[in-house]
Amino acid sequence: MLSALLLIPLVGIAAIGFLPGTIDPKICRRISLVAILATLIWTIWIGIGFDPTAPGMQFSEFVPWVPWMGFNYHLGVDGLSMPLLVLNGVLTAISIASTPGDLHRPRFYYTLMLLINIGVTGAFVAQDLFLFFGFYELEIVPLYFLIAIWGGKRRGYAATKFLIYTAISGFCILASFLGVVWLSGTGSFDYAPLRSAGLPLGTQILLLVPLLVGFGIKIPFFPFHTWLPDAHVEASTPVSMLLAGVLLKLGTYGLLRFGVGLFLDAWAYLAPWLAVWAAVSALYGASCAIAQTDMKKVVAYSSIAHMAFILLAAAATTQLSLLAAVCQMIAHGLISALLFFLVGVVYKKTGTRDVNVLRGLLNFSRGLPLIGSLIILGVMASAGLPGMVGFIAEFLVFRGSFSLFPVQTLLCMVGTGLTAVYFLLMVNKVFFGRLSEVTIDLPQVQWSDRIPALILSVVIFILGIQPNWLVFWSEPRIVSLVTEFGQPQAGLLTPGNGMGDDRDLGFQPIKSEVTQ
Amino acid sequence: MTDFLLANSWFIPLYGAIGAVLTLPWSLGIIRRTGPRPAAYINLLMTLAAFVHSSIAFWAIWGQPTQKLVFNWFSAADLTIPLTLELSPVSLGALELVTGISLLTQVYALGYLEKDWSLARFYGLMGLFEAALGGVALSDSLFLTYCLLEVLTLSTYLLVGFWYAQPLVVTAARDAFLTKRVGDIILLMGIVALSSYGEGLDFSSLQNWVTTAPISTWTATWVGLTLIAGPTGKCAQFPLNLWLDEAMEGPNPAGIMRNSVVVSIGAYVLIKLQPIFILSPIAEDVLIVIGTVTAIGTSLMAIAQIDIKRTLSHSSSAYLGLVFIAIGLGHVDIALLLLFTHAIGKALIFMSAGSIILTTSNQNITEMGGLGSKMPATTIAFVVGSASLVACLPLGFFWTMQRWLNGSWEIHGWLLAILMFVNALSAVNLTRVFRLVFLGSTQPKTRRAPEVPWTMALPMVGLTVVTLLAGIAPRLWPLWLSPVAPLADVDSPLISLAMPLLISSGVVGLIIGSTLELRRAWSRPMQRSMRFLQDLFAYDFYIEKIYELTVVMAVSLTSKATTWFDRYVVDGAVNFVGLATIFSGQALKYNVSGRSQFYVLTIVIGTCVLFVLTNGWLF
Repeated sequence: MLSALLLIPLVGIAAIGFLPGTIDPKICRRISLVAILATLIWTIWIGIGFDPTAPGMQFSEFVPWVPWMGFNYHLGVDGLSMPLLVLNGVLTAISIASTPGDLHRPRFYYTLMLLINIGVTGAFVAQDLFLFFGFYELEIVPLYFLIAIWGGKRRGYAATKFLIYTAISGFCILASFLGVVWLSGTGSFDYAPLRSAGLPLGTQILLLVPLLVGFGIKIPFFPFHTWLPDAHVEASTPVSMLLAGVLLKLGTYGLLRFGVGLFLDAWAYLAPWLAVWAAVSALYGASCAIAQTDMKKVVAYSSIAHMAFILLAAAATTQLSLLAAVCQMIAHGLISALLFFLVGVVYKKTGTRDVNVLRGLLNFSRGLPLIGSLIILGVMASAGLPGMVGFIAEFLVFRGSFSLFPVQTLLCMVGTGLTAVYFLLMVNKVFFGRLSEVTIDLPQVQWSDRIPALILSVVIFILGIQPNWLVFWSEPRIVSLVTEFGQPQAGLLTPGNGMGDDRDLGFQPIKSEVTQ
Repeated sequence: MTDFLLANSWFIPLYGAIGAVLTLPWSLGIIRRTGPRPAAYINLLMTLAAFVHSSIAFWAIWGQPTQKLVFNWFSAADLTIPLTLELSPVSLGALELVTGISLLTQVYALGYLEKDWSLARFYGLMGLFEAALGGVALSDSLFLTYCLLEVLTLSTYLLVGFWYAQPLVVTAARDAFLTKRVGDIILLMGIVALSSYGEGLDFSSLQNWVTTAPISTWTATWVGLTLIAGPTGKCAQFPLNLWLDEAMEGPNPAGIMRNSVVVSIGAYVLIKLQPIFILSPIAEDVLIVIGTVTAIGTSLMAIAQIDIKRTLSHSSSAYLGLVFIAIGLGHVDIALLLLFTHAIGKALIFMSAGSIILTTSNQNITEMGGLGSKMPATTIAFVVGSASLVACLPLGFFWTMQRWLNGSWEIHGWLLAILMFVNALSAVNLTRVFRLVFLGSTQPKTRRAPEVPWTMALPMVGLTVVTLLAGIAPRLWPLWLSPVAPLADVDSPLISLAMPLLISSGVVGLIIGSTLELRRAWSRPMQRSMRFLQDLFAYDFYIEKIYELTVVMAVSLTSKATTWFDRYVVDGAVNFVGLATIFSGQALKYNVSGRSQFYVLTIVIGTCVLFVLTNGWLF
């Protein structure tokens, strides 16, 4: 079942590869869209067959691969990966559909897009550490080319920076993975047996730190983030959407799956500091976003701020906060993809993203009224306005983490408040006011520029009004992520608020929360 | 039939929302052939339906016990969020007021915005406004209330920013959103905290939870203060009061809603939260302090304004300040009555002001005059509205005050002093505005001033009649919200003197207002002290300047510093490492000489260095 998710895009790649080099780019797009839609339908089919209440991994596939090295081809999905698979399918489809029709070197481009899809899907379903690592690395190369070939002016710099950062990230992760396999003495990279290895705390911390750095680069957190704004600014719109919507989620997925899953004791020990890290990252990202003048950079820094909430939720490891982490991943994926898409449309029509140049784009007859309205909607969703998916995700994050880390949670909420500041400043400058002379004769906005945004907006609305669908796959057994194989953590997973009867909002030193 | 309508009262706020959605084809320009009018008619129809429905429901619930409707909206892990609605005479009464004023406003807007090309967008936003307000009126869940307050914040932003091409509107919309958002985020912090303490977020379950007093006073104070912050922003109370005055740049029909029901909704939420404040006396005191500061400060600001809408909006803040004091004292029923009388009176005055603005195309009262004989309906509306806001005998505010000061409640001297002060200044200001606008000689801008068209006159006259009758409500109000029958203390001298003193304060205000020397031409007082005072009030005590120099500057400096740090320190370090690598590579390439002796030498030296480094402890 799951291998098909990897095979269908591969068939698409093969089909594109056999086309002649002079082929119309639109045909390439159509073929890859068909491939990706088929994958999406298959994903949804798996989702329908997925039993949210069943324990453990489902649809498992196990084939020994290199037995003497301990590598296995082991796939499976659970409540954590299922929603992310769907998100991946939806956003890849929208990215491919919103690629311009007159692209140069189309065969290579769509091959890379499909390769990224395979890499991400593989990473989400891999149940073997080495397999995960392989897919994780697989997605880096296509992205490098996508930025370096179809990017903006400084694409070479941005792409190389991305490559170096992500290579270091991969190195850290590999070090941690090798360490856990060797030190636990299981001799196998298979995920499930490693969880019950029960390493001593010191060793766990030693292994968790490189993992945190590795995924911290990918997500990214301060101070490992500087590749992201550059990559976003130089990448073309569809690539930006994929990068923000899906690829960053690999990092948070890795944190939850391997950081929490393999090193629970160390995770609990470091949790207060992880929450502090989240708060710092959130405030830092928001603070940087206020002063940016490039619309894409504003969205990129807001991405850093919003991804930090996932770390906060993951640090708390209450039932609710783990669920919240999944919700926030989905919410951020949808909202940032929407915003990057719309900023891309503005750039396409006006030729600039500078907030000091653009003005009055909401103008009804000569501006971009619908795109402007959708951006207002998108930034409101990002700022956590109720009725849209961003709000419920953030509320769950804060509600899930507050009882354990009140101060850090409140700081993150200040970060949410700042979201409104930087986005509103941007919207006010770009869309309100009198239409500026620079942008007076704008080309017509096609429906193809609107439909992807409309689809994303509708999904954002529906999941905001009916969030039960958002947590449908994850809710019943999200806890199994932490408890199933590891030692149950007394303080971390009480079904209530996780704080017992100590209900004081007080500001005790954060260390005292740690349960040993 | 009435039972069916009552049981389905939850649907009433949705009329507005449906109306808002149905305007989309016109506001997005999909349907252009018909012009935007059909969108307006659809919304009017929906609002009419909402009004009729809520009236029937109100009539049906009168004298009935409170009903609760619970929708299970979301549950995950240990968190369940039900959306609870309360059907009681209070909530349905509030709903009827909201839909009623919304209906009148929308009819009024048909005339006021007759030639505006984005009429459809306006009606869509009004529908959203009405839906959110109606939802808050019915909501019995703090969570739902918060969500709807946020929707209100958004629609305020969009309504203030309606004419988005004007520079003042742009800043006004931004400030309105951000000011309210500050309050909302703090409120959200309180909600997250309350939710973490267990017990759910329904107002009624919170009430029960409070009686067991499970948290320390310190925590309770913090939670109480966060809960106050949201309504402080919504009700335009100090220190979050400036947005309302700026928001007057938006279209006037939205201003009618905003000054009457929207500012009230924040206080309505406070009334619902009032039982929680018993946990923390400090929170109650803070409410009183905020209310007092705002009531006195904004009353003073109002008398120095020359923009007709701004002066009236400052007075809205002042009256809401009184409501805050009443809630802080625990006089919840009085707070509700104050909201009711103020909402109706202020809506009427704003309709009148809108008529003046539309007719004269001007908001500056120093350029008006002599409209009294030309616009009779507008004049009567203004007079009736003003009279209902100062303690004038047969009208609403008088009876509300009478109810407050009749000895049922504990009244302190300072409270009476504040009431007299606000009443007197309100009288001064309204008389001043009346004289400038309606009396005196005709000015160039008021020379041709016909009465407004029927679409505006009809709701105005209708509301005038309602205002005249509204005095009945405070007299008959059964004090539902006060848990115990208030004490009766009729004998104290303060009580017996209270009403006469209050009325005389109004008379004094009237006299001062009528004898005040009015300057039509823009001239400055001679004395330096007077000039200082005028500037101080006219520029809102320079609060905006203070904000600019503190909060705004701090945020902007921090963000600039962070960006600098990001660019030159964090990213700089990365680039430095990169450059260092490249340079060292460039430098080292000269070692590639092709002589094997040199390579052997390098290897030997390298090995030695490594050996020393790794085994340095041996020596």
